[in-house]
Amino acid sequence: MTQLEARAISKRYGTQRVLDHLDLALNGGEVTCLLGPNGAGKTTLLRVLSGLQRSQAGELLLDGARLDFHQPDARRQFGLVMHQPFLYEHLTGPENLRFYARLYQAELPEAQLRQLLTRVGLGKTRPVPVRSYSRGMKQRLTIARALLHNPRILLLDEPYTGLDQQGCQLLNLLIGEEQANGRVILATTHELNHARQIASLFAVLTRGKIAALIPNVGLSLDDIQLRYQQITQPESVAAA
Amino acid sequence: MKNWLKTALTLVWKDLVQEWRSRDMLTAMLSFAVLTLFIFNYAMELNPASRSEAAAGIIWVVIVFAGTLGLNRSFTAEQDQGCFDALVMAVPELSVIYVAKLITNLLVMLFLTVLVIPIYSLLYNQSLFMPMLWLVLLLGAWGYSATGTLIAGMTVQTRMRDLLLPILLFPLLMPVNMAVVKAAGAVLAGSALSGYASWVNLLLVYDIIMTVLSILVFEYVIQE
Repeated sequence: MTQLEARAISKRYGTQRVLDHLDLALNGGEVTCLLGPNGAGKTTLLRVLSGLQRSQAGELLLDGARLDFHQPDARRQFGLVMHQPFLYEHLTGPENLRFYARLYQAELPEAQLRQLLTRVGLGKTRPVPVRSYSRGMKQRLTIARALLHNPRILLLDEPYTGLDQQGCQLLNLLIGEEQANGRVILATTHELNHARQIASLFAVLTRGKIAALIPNVGLSLDDIQLRYQQITQPESVAAA
Repeated sequence: MKNWLKTALTLVWKDLVQEWRSRDMLTAMLSFAVLTLFIFNYAMELNPASRSEAAAGIIWVVIVFAGTLGLNRSFTAEQDQGCFDALVMAVPELSVIYVAKLITNLLVMLFLTVLVIPIYSLLYNQSLFMPMLWLVLLLGAWGYSATGTLIAGMTVQTRMRDLLLPILLFPLLMPVNMAVVKAAGAVLAGSALSGYASWVNLLLVYDIIMTVLSILVFEYVIQE
């Protein structure tokens, strides 16, 4: 089973320390939901884990071996959904997917392309340029793009952004399927209700460190909110 | 190597399709080029002799400045939608992104040249259909694109990229500008190859060095 481990990762922008000797282990077949206030460093952590940004200290281990992003295939182990859609506006949805499949040297026959589009609820969409897609449709296509090369690790930064109720349910279903396939999944979200439905584990990031790991076992939404506030705003909870 | 080449061609295909559908670069470049040619035409209306002598300089100025508009936009699609990160995650080697952008920028520059030369010939009543002139312009466009693509890759993630690109690029382009204007001027004056071979050699050496150097450093340049 795949395991991704971050050891003593530190990252600073100028004098601002964003990640401070952060340790985190992610296991295949588990969905870890990364929670934290705005500016806590969730996106930075995802960028460091995927090799898009270098940390100033620490190391990443994949299945026990040091992950070297100078190796050609290291980044290709990751499927990434970030704030920006990573889509070319003047290409159609299928053209975008075919383009990325070619970059990954992934086979994407027409039937598989249709199947992928159907999985994200875009099976019946006309092949128009992406610039005419709604925000939610772009997000669905972004998710399809992240999945098309069967990555071992999925990093999802606010994946529910722009999705309607049906889209959110579809995404939860997809995440469940990918979890069953043994993928390592790390998702950041502020939507605790959605997080509760998909998470195996909650990781709370605050002050540059993972302050708590909370297994999602029998927790109600109120329980999660209370635990989250106790960790991120202990003073206000104590005062209340 | 085969995968590397396929990836490069895929990236070039994407850039050309994007450009064909949006015409972001070409519209700006062509408008600027035609306008500049018209201004030069009016400025030198009464002096055909100076027109002929200045032809090489005028053409290269038009191509270089119009090209800068294109270079500024060459990474725009990647920057606006975050696609640059996606490319970094997907390609086997980061240098392939540079090579693909270089090919695209060179093709756009050559397309612009193919349009500018007949317009110049028409306005200035001077035939420029000379194989050696085309060779000099091709080598100049290659050097310009090789250096420009690297600098555009560097500046794309900065807020002042429109300003930074020409500031960083033009000093590096001095050898190209000098060699193109001198060699093209000699071709138009009817000199033998031996009279301007040293300029052509300079262009060729510059092009090769800048291309190889850029391929080697591109990975370090685009990472923080």
